[in-house]
Amino acid sequence: MILVTTNEVPGREIETVFGLVRGNTVRARHVGRDILAGFKNIVGGEIDDYTKLLAESREQSLDRMVAEAQARGADAIVGLRFATSEIASGASEFLAYGTAVKLVPLG
Amino acid sequence: MNASEREPSRDELEAMAYADGELEGAERAAFESRMAERSDLVREVARHQRLHVLARHAAPPEPMDHEWRRLARDPFQRGLLLVGWLLGVGGALLLAGWGLHGLFTSDLPLFPKLALGAVGVGTLALGLAVLRGRLLTRPYDPYTEIQR
Repeated sequence: MILVTTNEVPGREIETVFGLVRGNTVRARHVGRDILAGFKNIVGGEIDDYTKLLAESREQSLDRMVAEAQARGADAIVGLRFATSEIASGASEFLAYGTAVKLVPLG
Repeated sequence: MNASEREPSRDELEAMAYADGELEGAERAAFESRMAERSDLVREVARHQRLHVLARHAAPPEPMDHEWRRLARDPFQRGLLLVGWLLGVGGALLLAGWGLHGLFTSDLPLFPKLALGAVGVGTLALGLAVLRGRLLTRPYDPYTEIQR
């Protein structure tokens, strides 16, 4: 599965467009991590607990989007984008979306 | 021949193919119906997904990671965290117990006491149910080892 943020893939052309595919998730760290993150927020620096939270969400939403594209018979996703928002305090929603396509070699 | 050298079983091969998105149609449906009945298959698929997810992150650790690891092993730092959690959680439990004792030995009529007790027990049961769900499903969550 080829994932690109551009609208085209060099050396290939789009044969079929399957339409929008997306994957999202809402994850949280446990309350103990939230408390420690609160203290780190006071002293500054990277809040690695939340870096980890967003990274987990990013990978899960990416996998869900890819699974949807595979189920539709696509071999690439073009125009990939990420979006994030806060659903509740300490919980983040991560959304990955793009256009599922079937590619063929140019020419 | 050790465990890592033995031939993978049919279940393991199918779990690997499922995690790779290589099973289609009837094969996929059949494997999914078997997964619904066998948690060992779900665990095997989750294991492969975990490897996929980790393999995507080939970047080497950052210099700061080594210092964080050293700090995590540092006895003084561990002691500070232990004392902090013990005093914080212990104090909160003592306060909750004191509040409950005060409530049930107060002059309030029986009905509000029972209602408040029900709210407390209900909240505790809901919390335990959520915690139990998380502990039981955590082994199947392939994203818990991602760091950044």
